[in-house]
Amino acid sequence: MKPDKRTDTLADGIARKLEALANEKEGIRRKLVVTAKQLAVTAKEKESTRRKLVVTAKQLAVTAKEKESTRRKLEVTAKQLAVTAKEKESTRRKLVVTAKTLAVTAKEKESTRRKLEVTAKQLAVTAKEKESARRKLVVTAEKLKSLYETLEKKVSERTKDLEQIRSKSEAILASIGDGLVVVDKEGRINYINKSFEEMLGWKAEEIIGKSMVQVVPREDIHGTKVSFKERILTQVLSGEKFVANLTNPFYYIRKDTSRFPTSSIVAPVILDGKTVGAVEVFRDITKEKEIDKAKTEFVSLASHQLRTPLSTVNWYSEMLLAGDAGKVTPDQKKYLEEIYAGNQRMVELVNTLLDVSRIELGTLIIESKPTNIVKLTQSVLDEHKLLITEKRIILTSSFSKKIPLIKTDPKLLRMVIQNIVSNAVKYTSDGGKIYISTVMIDGSDILMKIRDTGYGIPKDQQNKIFTKLFRADNVIGKDTEGTGLGLYIARSIVEQAGGKLWFDSTENRGSIFYVTLPLHKPKKDNDASARLYQRSNN
Amino acid sequence: MKDKLKMTKTILVIEDERPLIQAIQTKLESNGFIVVTARTIDQGLDYLENIEKIDAIWLDHYLPGEKTGLDFVAYLKGPKSKWAKMPIFIVSNTASSGNVRSYMSLGVSKYCVKAEHRLDQIVKDLKAFLDDSEK
Repeated sequence: MKPDKRTDTLADGIARKLEALANEKEGIRRKLVVTAKQLAVTAKEKESTRRKLVVTAKQLAVTAKEKESTRRKLEVTAKQLAVTAKEKESTRRKLVVTAKTLAVTAKEKESTRRKLEVTAKQLAVTAKEKESARRKLVVTAEKLKSLYETLEKKVSERTKDLEQIRSKSEAILASIGDGLVVVDKEGRINYINKSFEEMLGWKAEEIIGKSMVQVVPREDIHGTKVSFKERILTQVLSGEKFVANLTNPFYYIRKDTSRFPTSSIVAPVILDGKTVGAVEVFRDITKEKEIDKAKTEFVSLASHQLRTPLSTVNWYSEMLLAGDAGKVTPDQKKYLEEIYAGNQRMVELVNTLLDVSRIELGTLIIESKPTNIVKLTQSVLDEHKLLITEKRIILTSSFSKKIPLIKTDPKLLRMVIQNIVSNAVKYTSDGGKIYISTVMIDGSDILMKIRDTGYGIPKDQQNKIFTKLFRADNVIGKDTEGTGLGLYIARSIVEQAGGKLWFDSTENRGSIFYVTLPLHKPKKDNDASARLYQRSNN
Repeated sequence: MKDKLKMTKTILVIEDERPLIQAIQTKLESNGFIVVTARTIDQGLDYLENIEKIDAIWLDHYLPGEKTGLDFVAYLKGPKSKWAKMPIFIVSNTASSGNVRSYMSLGVSKYCVKAEHRLDQIVKDLKAFLDDSEK
């Protein structure tokens, strides 16, 4: 607009120049037309632009609104973010801690992992072995299976066999001819056999579970009841190895209180090294006693019979020696003396046998009277003086002065001392020593000791030395005169008198024999052997 | 001579073992005794009743027959016996103490065990006994 107003003003003031200017005007007009045209285009463009702007404004308004909303949203979001940030911080811290923990854990894990690695390797090896073992086991299992089947068969077969054996064993036990009783650790009856029932009159059902010692009382040869403590059953159950009562006869009392002489053996029943009970086997020995008595009677009779021809030899050689049939030459005399001496020995032997049979028959008559044991001993020693001197044996003796007279049978006591002294002299080599002493002990017993430095008794034969007819190996060759009866007789006599006879001995060193005799004999031992046989006859 | 005859004693020996009888007889006779021998109790009793002068009896215990020397002694030493004071020597091998006691309690003079006594010792004892009882 502005350029239009300036152009009009300029055309009135300058006329001449109007034409130039008209030209110019024309030029400009043209230019203006162009410009107008241009302007129109521009306006149009402006209008378009304005419209576009309006649209844009509108759009902007919308955008602003959106922006505002967005801002608000952003604001909310920011707030949320702040919160989130805090949480994140906390989480981060936690994570740091966790991270640290994890680091530690990681280390441990590493170590564990290594260990596991090792273990894994080992396991691998083991696994291989296991596999191999498994294979073997499979093989073994198969074998076992087949074995098991065989075994099963065998077991069933064996069971049958065992059943048979068991019933057979039971039948055997039940039928044993000797009485049989099995007791438990407390001595209660577990089992008895038929013979037990028959011999003692008790039925199994009456006494199973009861005490054997109480059910079946035992009496010794004097008729004295044997105490619980002394019963061999009790002794075996309390640990004694084995007890046989063969030489010491006793009586068992039946249910009906009658009795019979018995011999029994008791042995412990040992299971896993412990005594769980005992088994006793016993026999009625009435028959044996009768036989023994008959035997003894036979010996007695035979001995008497033997004496007659011995007397003949004795008397005739005696008469020849005395010159009753004319004078004998020195040689004849020597021979006759041998016959006479040999016969005398035979007489002594027969006498000894008779003594034994008397002791066993209980016909040995004891005539007790006050006896001076010291004097008796000295007289026995005097009898041996010759032999003692011959063998250059040094004999010493010591007798206590306090020994009173003792009421005993001097003949029998003499036999005891004579036997022991003669053994000491006989079985001691030349130049040896014998020592005899007699003392009182406890004011109630006389103790006699006879010690020698002789051959002694071999250890393994010491338990037989008092057995009838027994002679130790080491003297049989040295001396032919012994009978093996002397100590048997001596002990029987001493025990009959209520005393004891025992010894200590070492082979090749010597022996000590001890004899004790009570001043007052206990009553129950009176004539023990005689009673024994009377009883068995009842 | 008379004195000597008076001193001569007659002994009745009752013993069944022939060799022993002979030995006893020989020994007794050589010691100046007159000997009458019997082998059983009954024979002995017979001699005792029929031979007037018997001074002593030598007697064994076991003899043939049912009777033993003990029965004989019991008879001789019985209440109405005229031989109650007759010296009797038991010479036997049966030396059971019971027998010895029985004989002694019946009043025999001596009991000897043959096997344990010398013959001359018994004869000596018998002689001494008879000499003693004469005093």
